[in-house]
Amino acid sequence: MGYGSIVKVPFGPQHPALKEPENFTFEIDGDIIVNVKPRIGYNHRGIEKAMEARTYIQNIYLAERICGICSDAHTTCYCQAIEELLNVEVPSRAKYIRTVIAELERIHSHSLWVGIAAHEIGFDTLFMHLWRDRETVMDILEFVSGNRVHYAMNTIGGVRRDITDEMIPKINSGLNFLEKKIKHYINTISNEPTILKRTVNVGVLKPKDAVELCAVGPTLRASGVKNDVRKDDPYAAYDEVPFNVITNDGCDVFARIIVRCEEMLESIRIIRYALEHMPSGMTRVRVPLVVPPGESVSRVEAPRGELIHYAKSNGTSKPERYKVRSPTLANIPALCKMLMGQHVADIPIVLAGIDPCFACMDRVAIIDLKTGEKKVFNFEVFRRHIQKCYRKH
Amino acid sequence: MLQETLTLLFQLLIFPGAAFLILLAFISEWVDRKVVARIQSRFGPLYTGPSGVLQPIADFLKLLSKEDITPDGVEKPIFTISPIIYFSLSLTALFLIPILSETALVNFEGDLIFLIFISTLITITVFLAGYSSASSFSIIGSIRSALQMLGYEIPLSLAFIGPALAAGTLSLSGIVKWQISHGIWTVFLQPLGFGVILICFLAELEFVPFDIPEAETEIVAGWRTEFSGRKLALLKLGRDLELLLASALTTSLYLGGAQPVSFVPPALTFLIKIFFVVFLFSLFRALFARFRIDQMISGMWKHLIPLAILQILLIILNVGR
Amino acid sequence: MAIIKEAIKQLLSRPVTLKYPFERVAPPEGFRGRPVWDMRRCIGCGLCSKICPSGAIEIIGKGKEAKIKYYVDRCMFCGQCAESCPRNAIAMTSEFELANYSREKMLYEYEREF
Repeated sequence: MGYGSIVKVPFGPQHPALKEPENFTFEIDGDIIVNVKPRIGYNHRGIEKAMEARTYIQNIYLAERICGICSDAHTTCYCQAIEELLNVEVPSRAKYIRTVIAELERIHSHSLWVGIAAHEIGFDTLFMHLWRDRETVMDILEFVSGNRVHYAMNTIGGVRRDITDEMIPKINSGLNFLEKKIKHYINTISNEPTILKRTVNVGVLKPKDAVELCAVGPTLRASGVKNDVRKDDPYAAYDEVPFNVITNDGCDVFARIIVRCEEMLESIRIIRYALEHMPSGMTRVRVPLVVPPGESVSRVEAPRGELIHYAKSNGTSKPERYKVRSPTLANIPALCKMLMGQHVADIPIVLAGIDPCFACMDRVAIIDLKTGEKKVFNFEVFRRHIQKCYRKH
Repeated sequence: MLQETLTLLFQLLIFPGAAFLILLAFISEWVDRKVVARIQSRFGPLYTGPSGVLQPIADFLKLLSKEDITPDGVEKPIFTISPIIYFSLSLTALFLIPILSETALVNFEGDLIFLIFISTLITITVFLAGYSSASSFSIIGSIRSALQMLGYEIPLSLAFIGPALAAGTLSLSGIVKWQISHGIWTVFLQPLGFGVILICFLAELEFVPFDIPEAETEIVAGWRTEFSGRKLALLKLGRDLELLLASALTTSLYLGGAQPVSFVPPALTFLIKIFFVVFLFSLFRALFARFRIDQMISGMWKHLIPLAILQILLIILNVGR
Repeated sequence: MAIIKEAIKQLLSRPVTLKYPFERVAPPEGFRGRPVWDMRRCIGCGLCSKICPSGAIEIIGKGKEAKIKYYVDRCMFCGQCAESCPRNAIAMTSEFELANYSREKMLYEYEREF
């Protein structure tokens, strides 16, 4: 380096590489990134507050709409938190069905991501082919749950629909097709020289940094750290289903692609096992509409990583406080570390590497427009500020 | 006298001049879009005209009617004039290509040098267009396109020179005539040169894997980000003409050009060949991921230039003449 | 070069895209489309309107004379109303092409016929 001049380049909030509005300011020396400043807060939707105004049943559907891609992970997490408050045990058939849907969702989310990654490095053919084959899993989900995106399978105390024996052959044939295709894509990706050139040794995140910066999900596992909520704190039927936690020691974007592809294969194995060993019985238990006072935390391994929901109830039919920590938020510090020292042209693929879902993670940011200063308000100051604003108008 | 002038005017403006070339450019864009779409398991243009063949024209007309925005802070004269230059440069170069017979509409000894000059000028126009837009994306795009030119210009020129050396003339029409009279296409004599010219034209046309100056996910639309309305329409048309120019040049230099085959008129064989070359470009553009600019330039200098020089050496050593 | 093989295969086979308005895929059984009310069964309890997460259902009047107003533009097709109905008066149809230019046309009213 040593050109001495550092240029600030804004990236977003509107940019073709970002599917959602978020802003990053890069300090660039020549073609190398020397500093990254993320600025979140463009897409805050106030879902946590909205949850406090709705009943527990209505909140299932609101929780589902936190994220369009990991909609099942959010409802599973929400239902688990409320079930813990209610002290309800979910029937084991329902647990197996939750597992099947969660893994189908993981396949759909990961294949979507691999397609996006191919698009970010300009490989549109792979992107189109992947998304074409992804339709198979979308069709399975639609056929099982009644919708392609918002499955609405989970409810407090179980699942809303059963997977009947007539459905299983159709699911299995879809899975066989997907298994063949995913193997084909792993072969394509690891043998295509242009892909290797753009992904190997790009966006490196060392295992030590990954743990220190609290990365989660496939991002962490691609750095060689074995960490998976499904294994570490089993929920649904994961304690009964045997599976491997996929890791890769590559630490770069290529490792992230391979980890996700192999996780898809692992998901197929999990679904097959779960379908075969599904216990008979009820799919749900009736639960009261009013939840006794208490607090609970629930964790789920969403396709993007560890998802945490926190619920506080006060003995009414509506939660008093609800909090969502989605995996993307946990990956942002790691993302900044990965971007350091990269070429400008590698920004999109490194950014996409964590599978960001900015709208899910967004927080309120209060910024003084005149000075550009960021402020943190506590409740008292915030209330006074709001009152002042109201008086003005 | 009058009739001669009228014939010349007709030839220049209608057939095989400007109107015909522009139509051909639109059709080659359609071929390109259709092939890429089919490789990606899509239909591509479908509803405008039979199989959507009129879609590029419809797009062009639509852009003409759109609002033309000149952003604040642009270098107005260059910003306004560069789309016109870009479009007319490719069109001018196309007049030098023999389409109807083995002799081009305009031909003189040394027009090959002129074609190399024009292909460089096109990139310089691109650079100016991007640089005058005063947008950070455009500036990055234009710098990348100028850098990219450093990579492909020398092998491209060398690939131009190969057939000229073999034919012993610097005129494109002369090269086509030589191929016809010897009854062999240069591609069979100089396959290395053919590969080099295809790769270089992919870079010149900014197709994947060399679409670095307009990498959508990195820098929006690259050097064309700020253009809209009529200017963008002209840029798009210029791009189509460039595609046509690239495939026509490849055809004339390496695939025998406008060659009469028994009763088939030379123009038809020429059309078949250029669409084949467009097909090759589209195929390549669908099969790769995008390179980074440093990878592209070092790859060009490390691999492509030695190959191009090797081809020239082989010709000098009388292999492939 | 697996991608070349796949590309050539695609080039020679038919694209997977469906020309949507001309070619349609029927939604699978159990698809959650527009809900319909069977007013012969409805007892006007108003549970559907109370439970609806997006406030798409309005109930006017009480008991058997109740009238139901359903706003399809607010509905998110979760199917909770059909699940909560004590008389199974609500069924999810497979109708999904519900877009319209005016909001008035997106209002469905159900009334008991005597």
